[in-house]
Amino acid sequence: MELELKDIQGYVIRGYKYMMYSRYVMLNVTEPTLAKKFLKNNVADITNVTHRPTTHCLNFAFTSPGLKALGLAQENLDNFTREFREGMTSEHRQRLLGDFDSSAPANWRWGGVNNEEVHILLMVFGANKEIALNYADQLKQQYIASGLKEVFSLDGQTLPYNKEHFGFRDGISQPTIKGSGRKGPPEHDINAGEFIMGYKNEYNVYPDTPILATLQGETTLLPFDASGSGKRDLGRNGTYMVMRQLQEDVDAYWNFINEQAKNEDGTVNVEASTKLAAQMVGRWPSGAPIVKHPDADPGRISDDDNFFYTDHDPDGLKCPFGAHLRRTNPRDNFEDNSVKESIRLTRRHRIMRRARLYGDPYEGSALNHSPDGEVGLMFTCFNADISRQFEFVQYTWANYPKFKQLYNDPDPICGVKENPLPGTEQNFTVPGKPVNKYVTGLKKFVFTKGGAYFFFPSITTIKYLSTI
Amino acid sequence: MIHQNPLTLVTPVKNEEHDNLDALLTKIRNDIINGLPQQFENLNTIHYARWVLLEPKDADGKPQPDVGVRLVFSSDFDGDESQHLSDISTKCAQFFDDMYSHCEGYPAPDERTPESRKNYFSQWRVKSSAFFAGAPGRTLPQIIQENELRNHIWNFIKAGSWNNKSATEIHNAIKENVLATTGFEWATQSTKTPVIKWLGMAFLGIILLILLPFIIIWVLIINFFLEPKDETLGLTPSQVDEAHIKKLEEYEDLQNQNQFTQVLIMKPGQIRLITLKGLMLFAKALISYLFVNGKLMGIPTIHFARWVMIDNQKRMLFFSNFDGSWQQYLGDFIDKSGWGLTGIWSNTQKFPRTKFLFAAGAYDEEHFLAWSRYFQIPTAVWYCAYPHLSIKNIINNSYIRNELFKDLNEQQAQQFLNRF
Repeated sequence: MELELKDIQGYVIRGYKYMMYSRYVMLNVTEPTLAKKFLKNNVADITNVTHRPTTHCLNFAFTSPGLKALGLAQENLDNFTREFREGMTSEHRQRLLGDFDSSAPANWRWGGVNNEEVHILLMVFGANKEIALNYADQLKQQYIASGLKEVFSLDGQTLPYNKEHFGFRDGISQPTIKGSGRKGPPEHDINAGEFIMGYKNEYNVYPDTPILATLQGETTLLPFDASGSGKRDLGRNGTYMVMRQLQEDVDAYWNFINEQAKNEDGTVNVEASTKLAAQMVGRWPSGAPIVKHPDADPGRISDDDNFFYTDHDPDGLKCPFGAHLRRTNPRDNFEDNSVKESIRLTRRHRIMRRARLYGDPYEGSALNHSPDGEVGLMFTCFNADISRQFEFVQYTWANYPKFKQLYNDPDPICGVKENPLPGTEQNFTVPGKPVNKYVTGLKKFVFTKGGAYFFFPSITTIKYLSTI
Repeated sequence: MIHQNPLTLVTPVKNEEHDNLDALLTKIRNDIINGLPQQFENLNTIHYARWVLLEPKDADGKPQPDVGVRLVFSSDFDGDESQHLSDISTKCAQFFDDMYSHCEGYPAPDERTPESRKNYFSQWRVKSSAFFAGAPGRTLPQIIQENELRNHIWNFIKAGSWNNKSATEIHNAIKENVLATTGFEWATQSTKTPVIKWLGMAFLGIILLILLPFIIIWVLIINFFLEPKDETLGLTPSQVDEAHIKKLEEYEDLQNQNQFTQVLIMKPGQIRLITLKGLMLFAKALISYLFVNGKLMGIPTIHFARWVMIDNQKRMLFFSNFDGSWQQYLGDFIDKSGWGLTGIWSNTQKFPRTKFLFAAGAYDEEHFLAWSRYFQIPTAVWYCAYPHLSIKNIINNSYIRNELFKDLNEQQAQQFLNRF
């Protein structure tokens, strides 16, 4: 089935790879009428999937309190999924996502329990810094005049070769969406309903979608619900977007790794450090998958995504079972399922990732790991079912220490607890022959500084929201 | 081999004592991070326990006539039921007295003896229609012990230097070390764990083959005459009552394991009841012949599960204890055994629309997830003796114990070492 690409905001399908600079502005609605006018005035400039802009892009996202602030009736809001309505900061969700101690929502800079409410997210992209900021400034004059208060803003950039701050090439493996015009290998080519509402998902049913319960605004703008309820649908061609500001403690990360892999005389063993770091990630800094290059980084920048685990590495001797990559996308080696079954099941837990870096554009390594000030990434992902996709990946695959046959191994990159309960071990097991090696006492190197669940509507729905 | 067994008690709560009991359960729940009272822990036979308050109304809010609030206790314990009842009536009497003095008919303080308590509990016990244990044949002390053994060996391997040693040499070194360590004497004896009973499976196959024509007719009757009239819940997860879900989530994901309690209402008519009973028999047979090594219908995370009919077979309780989150658990159910799940649960009300008894139903993911939350009720108190162990860990630990004192060739020794 073909997707209605002109109605879908671009960022869910396209990564805006050539937009090297971005600014995310979180806004709070103080004057709903003016805010809606602001949306109306800018609807024509929203980047859809078919656009091929060379200079700048614009997308909008909304939180649940944001939809309410714009005036969406409670009955209509109630049809959005609970994860979205409840947000990222409830006690239960905190347990699922592992946001405790310094990552607790009480300590966040935005989206947290002590922060001013985020309502609308403005995502501005430019081919370079100047274009992005000029465009952002233009919009700023408008939104300030529309009573939209800036709660937080963060500039993002893309490092050369798409490295993140620890020094690894990021964002290589992505699902492709059936009907989007882009086609990947069959195991990564996923039914559109996993990422966009109004289409069938991997269970071959329509994902839960916010249908209009109470008529308000220009309802005729909205299409009817694809599953045939006869109601108008706010969700079609839209999706949910997860955003988390993740600080990376590059210095502590490499110090920890260097300490684990040091020479007998205590000096840094660059080769061993890099290898251990790569084993924890699942790829070398270049991006090359360690399951294909178990001994050393082949060096060239790699986008190699054509690899599997079951045939080449059933015992985890090349890529440890606990590696970030092998956990968060187990490919054909999901628990102890057959290859076919693994692929079928993994497809139900995919997310479309879009990360942008913030802070000093720094590429860490075993010998260079002192960026100037705080660095991190604005983790963003798209999914139609936050619970079955993002939260499942974060909890069941990353945080949960019993992954596969492991006992006490959280994801070494994004699943470690800062202050585990007394007596709780946090290890990373490197399968070996004849015996495994263990890195014990894992430390947390990635901290949550802010976050929220957003609705990333279709362009039609944004137009509609400006009429309510 | 000692068998694990389920006990379910369903006792009426004194009308005026409802609030007091509620308060007591809340207190126990808040204290449970430190375990249950020592006398309970000392029994050393109870793997899991839970208390649930059954309100006299169904999931849709309809009042249940002629009943009041009931207290449900369930335990997964080692050994036979009579001994278990005696144990809780004697060694753990104070704890149970405090709780059951809020229930109707519990012996008055001056009449409480081990016998009178046991008689009371026996009177209110309800048999399970089917019961699954993920690691059958392992007692609680054994599970704890075997994990200590695994931890000991893990530390030994981690501390050692094994350069140029073969797997068999390392295996032997571990053997010697364990032999030299006090406290692991028991480990030299291997443990018997149930194995798949192929004869039983063949027998089951033959019976099914003989019954096949009847089963086909039966399923056709259900498909053409019952299923079209079925009422479904029709809600998506976002439409289920918010407060209800919040209440359930309050007691979820506090550790790496979770509990699940459902109260289901049977669809009316004998055909549904007979279907369910037939499937329960089938499940029972599969559980004892085939699902003996940590997996229920392919799901590798369930420690214990049970199905219990109550109220003259009008309602069914389903309890389970599992590893991981609710989303993972229910997802596994759909992904691994959607047909089995549909066959059993679709005989209860408001299940998503089914075809030919086993098809559709749970595969309608959104509606199924909403349905399972709708009929789930909060567990008041949940106790687990080993929250730090997954069922996969427990099974692996038994393999470690059994392989430790065997003579292994190089390849087998390597497999043994891979377990750590």
